[in-house]
Amino acid sequence: MTDATVTNAAGFEPVHVDRQVQKLTRPSLSYWQDAWRRLKANRRAFISLYIVIGLLLFTVVGPWVWTVDPSTQDLDQVSKAPGSDRRAFVAEPYQPWEGVRATVPEGAASTAPPANFKTVGSTTTQAVRLTWDPVAGASGYRIYRNIYRPTAGGALGLPLGDVLSPEQVSFEDRLDLEPMTYFYAVLTLDRFGAVMSPPTSLEVNVVRVITPAQAVERGLVASVADVKVGDELKLALHPFGTDYLGRDLLARLMTGARVSLLIGIFAPLFYVLLGIAYGSAAGFMGGRADSALMRFADFVVALPFLLFMILFKIAFGIGPGESGIFPMLVALVLLSWPSTARLVRGQILQIREEGYIGASRLLGARTGYLVMRHMIPNTMGVILVTLTFAIPSAIFTEAFLSFIGMGVAPPTPSWGSMCNEGIRTMLTTPHELIFPAVMISITVLAFNLLGDGLRDAFDARMRSRE
Amino acid sequence: MTAMPPPPASQNGMTRSAGRSLLWLSVGAAGLFVLLLWALGFLSGMTGDEARASAPGVDFRNNAIALAASQEPPQLDSTRTSDQVSNFVLGHIMEGLLRQDEHDQVIPGVAESWEVRTDGATFHLRENARWSDGKPVTAHDFVFAWRLVVDPKTAATYASLLFPIRNAEAIIAGKVPPESLGVVATSDRQLDVQFEKPVPYFEKLAAFTTLFPVREDFFRSRNGTYAANAEDLLFNGPFTLTRWEHGASFRFEKNGLYWDKDRVKLAAVDVPYITTDSNATLNLYRDGKIAMVGQSPGLGSESLKQALVAGWPIHQMRDGSVWYLQLNFRPDRITRNHNLRKALQLVVDRGEYVYRVLKTPGYVPAASIFPVWLRGAENLFRQEYPAPEVAVDVAAARRYLDLAKQELGLTEWPPLVFLCDDTPSSTKQAEYFQTVFREKLGLEVRIDRQIFKQRIAKMQAGEFDIVSAGWGPDYDDPLTFGDLFASWNPNNHGEYDNPELDRWVRAAQETVDPRGRMAAFGEIQRILIEDAAVITTYERGQSYVQDPRLKGVVRRTIGIDPDFSNAYLEPN
Repeated sequence: MTDATVTNAAGFEPVHVDRQVQKLTRPSLSYWQDAWRRLKANRRAFISLYIVIGLLLFTVVGPWVWTVDPSTQDLDQVSKAPGSDRRAFVAEPYQPWEGVRATVPEGAASTAPPANFKTVGSTTTQAVRLTWDPVAGASGYRIYRNIYRPTAGGALGLPLGDVLSPEQVSFEDRLDLEPMTYFYAVLTLDRFGAVMSPPTSLEVNVVRVITPAQAVERGLVASVADVKVGDELKLALHPFGTDYLGRDLLARLMTGARVSLLIGIFAPLFYVLLGIAYGSAAGFMGGRADSALMRFADFVVALPFLLFMILFKIAFGIGPGESGIFPMLVALVLLSWPSTARLVRGQILQIREEGYIGASRLLGARTGYLVMRHMIPNTMGVILVTLTFAIPSAIFTEAFLSFIGMGVAPPTPSWGSMCNEGIRTMLTTPHELIFPAVMISITVLAFNLLGDGLRDAFDARMRSRE
Repeated sequence: MTAMPPPPASQNGMTRSAGRSLLWLSVGAAGLFVLLLWALGFLSGMTGDEARASAPGVDFRNNAIALAASQEPPQLDSTRTSDQVSNFVLGHIMEGLLRQDEHDQVIPGVAESWEVRTDGATFHLRENARWSDGKPVTAHDFVFAWRLVVDPKTAATYASLLFPIRNAEAIIAGKVPPESLGVVATSDRQLDVQFEKPVPYFEKLAAFTTLFPVREDFFRSRNGTYAANAEDLLFNGPFTLTRWEHGASFRFEKNGLYWDKDRVKLAAVDVPYITTDSNATLNLYRDGKIAMVGQSPGLGSESLKQALVAGWPIHQMRDGSVWYLQLNFRPDRITRNHNLRKALQLVVDRGEYVYRVLKTPGYVPAASIFPVWLRGAENLFRQEYPAPEVAVDVAAARRYLDLAKQELGLTEWPPLVFLCDDTPSSTKQAEYFQTVFREKLGLEVRIDRQIFKQRIAKMQAGEFDIVSAGWGPDYDDPLTFGDLFASWNPNNHGEYDNPELDRWVRAAQETVDPRGRMAAFGEIQRILIEDAAVITTYERGQSYVQDPRLKGVVRRTIGIDPDFSNAYLEPN
């Protein structure tokens, strides 16, 4: 044996025993880590979570970034949709106009339309001044304004007013002038106020103007000296447009979100907690105490919410014109908990009889431990289902109550009251309704989907399952 | 052996048969559903509502028109009524001694001739005036009605209109019996009226709804249900009320017994819709179901935009009312302070308010409680006595506010309560003023929104600091506005009490000379503005759309409005 190798004990070392081989590797996950992992896997819920965080930022941080006062009225831009033209020219302040008087020609009553119909001075959003030649036999004139070019025999548009004396041959239109083209018409009236002549019409282009004082008031320039007449300015920016009093919609949505989310989050949180405490107490005690407690819950279910809301409003001494948010919160908390209590009680009754509870008891677990360690986590699914429905329904309740005028007091906006205001002008300026309505929809949907995802994630029975 | 059960069907067969029965079930259900819908449609057709509602707004075949009303007539007892809708209905189904023609001139009604003196008036009734049961209208019917009006048991809203008649004021106060009223039927066809003091406007009063006749035997036969239903009324006007379904509809038809029936051209005026929903009425007009939209109240700026886009002929009428911010002068209210009122008055920009906020054509800024259309001695009142100008001046307003703060001994301004109606437009107006008072004066304003009745109740109880209110004229004389702030006027809800003003109101009531009266009204106007007793905001006009084929409709500032008694249809 030529290749005999010398071996001895010193040449050996024990084979490394890899004990890990047989172990199923997986990092140990706590309850919360597992829930988080499964929530992340649920894309819908995760997007909703971001939306909810976004909403909270919108509400809390938003007013620091967009510092426009939600109740300031920008009457130069009333009911403007986002992206409207904002150009305006600086002009002298409005001066009253005494008008034009002329002697009425003698002679037989004429059925000819007023001649020489023209404007006086510049035609701006402050005023359009019109004048015409007097007509023999007329005892007054009527002025119309249209947004369409008049056609023969067609409608003349808005009747702006009547001039009651024949010598007065002028009319000043200041009614809601917009920077656009108008078609004015004037006709004569007889002494009974009946139409005497066909109309004469006139096309007028109106320019938007703002006075230096208004520009300062609206914060467009620092002082009156910074602008001179004829300068072009841009009016204040309203990214989401303005409402019927020229108030900034973005600022109002932010303020409104505060009310909506306050009710939407705090009311369900309080009443779900109350419901859990009440339900678990009833379920755990069982027997006569249980049935007494549940009969009381049935009694509370039967109380009408709206009536109690009104009663609380009176009881708290909330006078007219004061916010009804606090009584709304109290009414929601005091009247909405029984549904949660019932669900929790049912779950507790069921879990109480489970084998592991008995085992736990035998091992000396105390009641508090049993409730906190076994019962609450096992009812988490049910609780989260309740919360899932509670948040959006509370937001809806607030919106509904503010819609019917029971909630916030003006000028404080809430999404519901904004919808109420917007619905009146739905056909002509839809953005006033669309923005708050979309905000309510998005919020409710996001909370619903997030709640759905949380329920799946927290459900103890679904633990470690995909 | 008993009969064998049938062999079990194969799995496949069972599914198929289940599918088949499910199919049959669903077909059956669908069929039933269709049947049900058809039956419902048929039933609703049977009740007649559908048939009625489908008649066109301008119905040439039946020579009739259809309209929508904002509410059902609340009170058709002419002696008690006070609202616009009842007035409209009563003006068509009844007639007083005199009536107004299409140019608002007083012309004969039941009376064919009359004399008005300084101490009284005599009316000669026509022979052919008939009640709808064929009996003649007599002077006794007027005496009975007028006694009812002043009877304290009736509690008529407009009882004060009869104050010029002898003893009326004492009867209302309960001092003497109603029989002592200065009205005597000297014969069936002659009515004598004695005045307490000269009444230059008595002819106009004689055409007013409150002075319509009521027949005693018919009134008594109803045992207190007079005017509760169409059957509980007698008619003597151009139309009769043939149907009145409470809250749903009513209808007038031409009265064949009316003495002047030839002037009435329409066979019927149907009101199948009673709704306050302005969008619904606009759609009804669009569908040709009604002949007029916005007759009362007028169209809002939103509806007008739609009418403008649709190219409908828009009309306008002046409803004559003046709107204002009434302030509370009760001792516990801070608005009693003159300087605070001055401050409020100086920041209200009527032009901005009317043209930028209300945005409704026909509305004009009101510089005074006396509207621009009122006639004076020779010319328009406001041309004879122009209202003192109050220009917006925020700096001066702040000075007044500081003075008021010192006078009231306040360290912090308490919130002001602004009472308004709960309609969208009133709320909008209140919100505008809330912001104006906050931004320009730093005053906090709380808005108290109430339904109309409740608003009136709170005004009467004085539960407000500022209230947005309006006043429409009852008769064509500046006095209808002039005595509004007299200390004894029950409509002076702010309890404004100024002896100087009261003196001028008395002077206006007692003077006969028109110039002297107008001078008194001029003083009243000056005092109200200088003392900032009321902040007038706008005079209202109403815009409406009327089918171009309907002609001859008369709109009135004062009186029966709209008046269809001379209306007719004419194809385009």
